[in-house]
Amino acid sequence: MVSTNLRGILSMRRIRTWAALVLSAVLLTACGGAKPEAKPATPAPTQTQAPAPAEKTWEPTKQVTLMVPYSAGGSTDLLARAIEKVWPKYVKQGLVVVNKSGAGGFEGRESVVRGAADGYTLMMGYGSGEDLVVPQLRTTNVDVFKDLLPVARMSVHSVLVAVPAASEFKSLKDVVDWAKKNPEKPVTAAVATAAGAQDIVMRGIGKVAGIKVTPVPHQGGSQAITALVGAQTMIGGGHPAEVMPHVKSGRLRVIGVALPERDPSLPDVQTLKEQGVNFSTWGSVKGIAVAKGTAPEVIKYYEEIMKKIAEDADFKKAMGDLYQPIMYQNAKDFGAFMTQAYGDYTKIIKDLDIKLQ
Amino acid sequence: MEILNGLIEGLGVAVAPTNLLFAFVGALLGTAVGVLPGLGPAATISLLLPMIYKIGSPATAVIFLAGIYYGAMYGGSTTSILLNLPGEAASVVTSLDGYKMALKGRAGAALGIAAIGSFIAGTIGVLGLTFVAPPLAEFALKFGPPEYFSLTLVGLLLAVFLSGSSIVKGMITLSLGLLFAAVGLDPVTGNVRFTLGTTHLQSGFDFVTLAMGIFGLGEIFYNLEQSEAGQIVTTKVGRLWPTMQDWAESKWAIVRGSVLGFVVGVLPGGGAVLSSLASYGLEKRLSKKPEEFGEGAIAGVAGPESANNAASSASFIPLMTLGIPANASIAMIYAALLIQGIQPGPFLITEHPDVFWGVTASMYIGNAMLLALNLPLVGLWVQLLRVPFSILGPVVVLFTTVGVFSIANNVTDIFSLLFFGVVGYLLKKFKFEVGPLPMAFVLAPMIENALRQSLLISNGSLSIFVVDRPISATLLGIFAVMVLSQVVKFFRTRARTAK
Repeated sequence: MVSTNLRGILSMRRIRTWAALVLSAVLLTACGGAKPEAKPATPAPTQTQAPAPAEKTWEPTKQVTLMVPYSAGGSTDLLARAIEKVWPKYVKQGLVVVNKSGAGGFEGRESVVRGAADGYTLMMGYGSGEDLVVPQLRTTNVDVFKDLLPVARMSVHSVLVAVPAASEFKSLKDVVDWAKKNPEKPVTAAVATAAGAQDIVMRGIGKVAGIKVTPVPHQGGSQAITALVGAQTMIGGGHPAEVMPHVKSGRLRVIGVALPERDPSLPDVQTLKEQGVNFSTWGSVKGIAVAKGTAPEVIKYYEEIMKKIAEDADFKKAMGDLYQPIMYQNAKDFGAFMTQAYGDYTKIIKDLDIKLQ
Repeated sequence: MEILNGLIEGLGVAVAPTNLLFAFVGALLGTAVGVLPGLGPAATISLLLPMIYKIGSPATAVIFLAGIYYGAMYGGSTTSILLNLPGEAASVVTSLDGYKMALKGRAGAALGIAAIGSFIAGTIGVLGLTFVAPPLAEFALKFGPPEYFSLTLVGLLLAVFLSGSSIVKGMITLSLGLLFAAVGLDPVTGNVRFTLGTTHLQSGFDFVTLAMGIFGLGEIFYNLEQSEAGQIVTTKVGRLWPTMQDWAESKWAIVRGSVLGFVVGVLPGGGAVLSSLASYGLEKRLSKKPEEFGEGAIAGVAGPESANNAASSASFIPLMTLGIPANASIAMIYAALLIQGIQPGPFLITEHPDVFWGVTASMYIGNAMLLALNLPLVGLWVQLLRVPFSILGPVVVLFTTVGVFSIANNVTDIFSLLFFGVVGYLLKKFKFEVGPLPMAFVLAPMIENALRQSLLISNGSLSIFVVDRPISATLLGIFAVMVLSQVVKFFRTRARTAK
């Protein structure tokens, strides 16, 4: 890089610098106009505005996105993958599952709400804690009933109460008895997230049974269950999909389920009510939703596809392996259910005086 | 021996032509993903999952996905060394000395030793996976919040060690990293912190954005200023291969890094990052020429690179033996297995030996493939450095911006990138070492979670960190020793200069 002709270098450099700047400017403008694409070769779904069809029926003409507002491996994600697996049997266009975790589940929701209501983006997990619980504790950017429309309910993930296998507690009654004998020591309970469905259950147990329960939040169900398996807390809450694999491998024991009646996929597990703690919640409802403004034909189409999927034998097997009960409801019933569940949670929050700290 | 039988059966599965092909394609794709900024292995695996269902054999599916995962580790170090653009938290430490080596014309040696070290580490990792997986998994389970707290505390201290000469300046950058990490949601209460009213920032800054901004853009802005002043920053192209001297200096770093990386990598959560940090700290301590660290010591590349590769092999252990995914990419693989009806966990090895042993054997083959793939490419990559800065700079800016945008399709990220670029520029200008910042950024949420969970469990008592917890107590002891030795050193140097 050494040269005797200083002026020569400067002008050469200047030419090159300008060339590079112009080149980058051109490239940036060109790319700025184009839609962003994902790096691997698989085509990313583009969100162009499809004109709302005037006919009564509708079918997708390009790839559909199923948005999961949590990270991979959790129960909602697994449900989405089960749907993804059998989807090609019923729809010609492909389905791609996208995980958009962040802001405790709100980032994914927001991206669906702000996206085009053209029927090409579905949201998985409508009815979870972010929809039924959190909006009652703080202001959120997404209005559960105004910004999203129900399409179909696929499952309800009950909240199980579990203990490490080596624990002295064999039932919920043991836990309550121990806590009453040791009032200065709170019962520590691993839960997936703060103010989520499991957190509510733990606080509910504490209030109703009159014992001190300290929920210990984690970054999701997977981490909470890992902590419980490692006996870091005394008890823990989890959905069947996360808990049952460890029960099968002998590391966890389930001592109760927080539903009004026994979970159909776990007929041997007693409810909390049966054990003397009269508390139940809906757990985490897992349904599909679309952005407000989506045409009714689009919703009807997906409602029927989801019904077929719910009755599909492969889907049933996959859900069975995942310990997730199939509890299908169509759009109208699901909407009514959501309102009811929301009201149920309102009552719980008021009764238990639950607040974000 | 049962294990050897299993391994032989696994090798049989691994060398089946379909599996070989998928291992190769996976490794190739993984390397590409690691080199390109933005999209990480987790997102790639997620996009490819639907195709997996069509493959049929679960062993093949996992071999493919695993290839992408550890391939990305190889690729990530390439951009760290050549362009000071660490794509993943685990590659940040590599870029510290690796890039300095590139500036001195030793990019080839750095890339070469990174590839060789990664291969050896991968091999050791696979051997570990074969022989000590179950007991190591049990060990991982013993790590609760107090242990994570103590471990990450040691990690933070090690991060300060990255700070070159001035510890005070290092602590300032460390604190900046902690501050940036505070943006987002409170992990325990869910309250919103420092988000300036946006929803996007509720999930905090993305690490890639921060790293690309501080390392990439910051460096480019700084170089622009230097160029203005008449100095041209060029990276010279020197020898392409590591010398015998390099090998002599690195071989033990590689072995130590592999073992350390493997053990620390088993822990769910921070395995790869902590292991590369720990390795760097260890090598600096043990080196006969510690002043070289930060200026281009090859052991500072060999050790951490081996550590993060061993950690990526180790992260399969909790998955395969306990059914617990350690990070996002592994979680995808976990999902892929579950959907096909295979339950990862203690019964995997007996119910589906082809999956367990096939994947283990294939990891060895995959590592060999990656070595064969990367070594010849070193010459090609190094040619990239011949491109004059005036062209390379804008192209890097372009790629980083597109990469960062591709993470979440959100323009806020681009503004964050620019912001970090300015931060990086200012840090360089005032001669602060930037290494501790991204480290603190990654470790902060871990430490905060661990501390608060521990205190929740102990009902506010601090004794939980020491009482009945030998691992945590030992780690805190190490922390205390490290701090004390620094204090002693400080007083000694002061006494010496006073004389």
